[in-house]
Amino acid sequence: MNNFLTLLFGELQRMKKYNIFTAAILVDLLWIGVLYFAKVEDITSLIPIIVYIDATAMSMVLVGATLFYEKQEGTIRTLLVSPISKSDYILAKIFANITSNLITLLLIYAYGKIFKEVNLNLLGLIGSVVLIAFFHSLVGFLLTFNTKDFTEMLMDMMKYTFIFSIPVLLEQMGLIKNEIVDKILFIAPTKSAAVLLEATAGGVELWRSLFALIYLVAASFLFVYIVLKKFHEFQVKEGGE
Amino acid sequence: MYQINNLSFKYPKNKEKTIKGISFEIKEGEIFGLLGPSGVGKSTTQKILTKLLDNYEGEILYKGKDLKSYDKSYYEEIGVGFEMPVHFSKLTAEENINFFKKLYKSTIDTDKLLKRVGLYEHRDKKVAEFSKGMKVRLNFVRAMLNNPKMLFLDEPTNGLDPHNARIIKEIIKEYREKGGTALLTTHLMNDVDELCDRIAFMANGQIAEIDSPKNLKLKYGERKVEIEYRDGEGVKKESFNLDTLKDDESFINIIKTKEILTIHSKEMTLDDIFIKVTGVSTHE
Repeated sequence: MNNFLTLLFGELQRMKKYNIFTAAILVDLLWIGVLYFAKVEDITSLIPIIVYIDATAMSMVLVGATLFYEKQEGTIRTLLVSPISKSDYILAKIFANITSNLITLLLIYAYGKIFKEVNLNLLGLIGSVVLIAFFHSLVGFLLTFNTKDFTEMLMDMMKYTFIFSIPVLLEQMGLIKNEIVDKILFIAPTKSAAVLLEATAGGVELWRSLFALIYLVAASFLFVYIVLKKFHEFQVKEGGE
Repeated sequence: MYQINNLSFKYPKNKEKTIKGISFEIKEGEIFGLLGPSGVGKSTTQKILTKLLDNYEGEILYKGKDLKSYDKSYYEEIGVGFEMPVHFSKLTAEENINFFKKLYKSTIDTDKLLKRVGLYEHRDKKVAEFSKGMKVRLNFVRAMLNNPKMLFLDEPTNGLDPHNARIIKEIIKEYREKGGTALLTTHLMNDVDELCDRIAFMANGQIAEIDSPKNLKLKYGERKVEIEYRDGEGVKKESFNLDTLKDDESFINIIKTKEILTIHSKEMTLDDIFIKVTGVSTHE
């Protein structure tokens, strides 16, 4: 087994042992509760909103939680002197996150299909979640690198959410209806995330979907580069500067 | 094994260099002790040698090749034992060991080593339930699990009872007998005396002294014998030159006629040399 898979399975094992999966499942049940009490039968427009929140916020939180656990327990030190590459280490965390996000998606989608009405392209949803969670896990890395503890990281994540996520969410929910605002919001990666998810229900102009896809892919490449570079500073610091 | 030439290092946030042009060699098959008070650059040197820090000046050769030219495969050859716990506390000892073992191409029979250090029967316990000493022993197993050619050990017996400290030291000696090389950092001079073939004392980012423990003791020791004896109602203490002892009438007279309470050669301990060479106490 190569070291990426060892690290990935290690991450998943620890997410289970440290009850991170349990917490994620509880959140999923909460979302299912929201869908249950929704007064509409067709929840096609609600699922992308829930998945949007999960794939953006949860991805950042999970990276912060696992990295701060590793810092707290000193395991990061021993990992840094193991025969693993920094890209293996980073990608393992990201794909563990994506696994959690996909479980959420599948649970909510299954509930919708069985008990309500849903008309979404599942493959499109899966692809969108992978891309959105990938990008936001990288954001989570950057937030963690620049903060001293998990509380500070959560505070920074809240700032990101207020600036980038909430305006997009309000627009998705129809509370902001303005063409100029709609265009301006495309600056934020969260807008592209929302557009991709919305597109799985159909009815989204092709240029918007393409722009969102290219934006997130390009931003992910850029952030991979930045995270790898910043990881070196993190390595020096956690090695015990 | 390692040739370190004129090594200097400055942390980005510091004004002054932490390491100021040190040069030394770690020979294959020896246990080399790197000693000195806190903050003199021992840990930094170790971090450079374990490739955690790379922005250094000078040259480090590992097996004749520039250390910078090695990639992650370098970690297949080294084992690093930390002083602080480095395990996932909610995983059992065995789960931790199995996870780390999978990262290496070649590994040892860890069950055998766990038995040796007295952790085998506790392998299914979560590390969070371990005592400090058990965590130290588990750290040691972690450092040894890839059968390293080079072992970096930071305070390997700190927090252990004498029985377990003895076991760890025996394993380190056996490791050397099988050709292993080790860099040992510790404040416990008894461990240094027992384990190290050569030692370097660091002070203020430089190497203040480097030699075998025996040579250093000879170099810094006083060639004197101190004798304490009963004299009438009181106790008297006198010193004699070790080199002229056999012809010293006064000494021979005391031996023959007095009740001797204590007699000691004034060989310096490594503790004394530590204080003398580095200028500080070991308790710092």
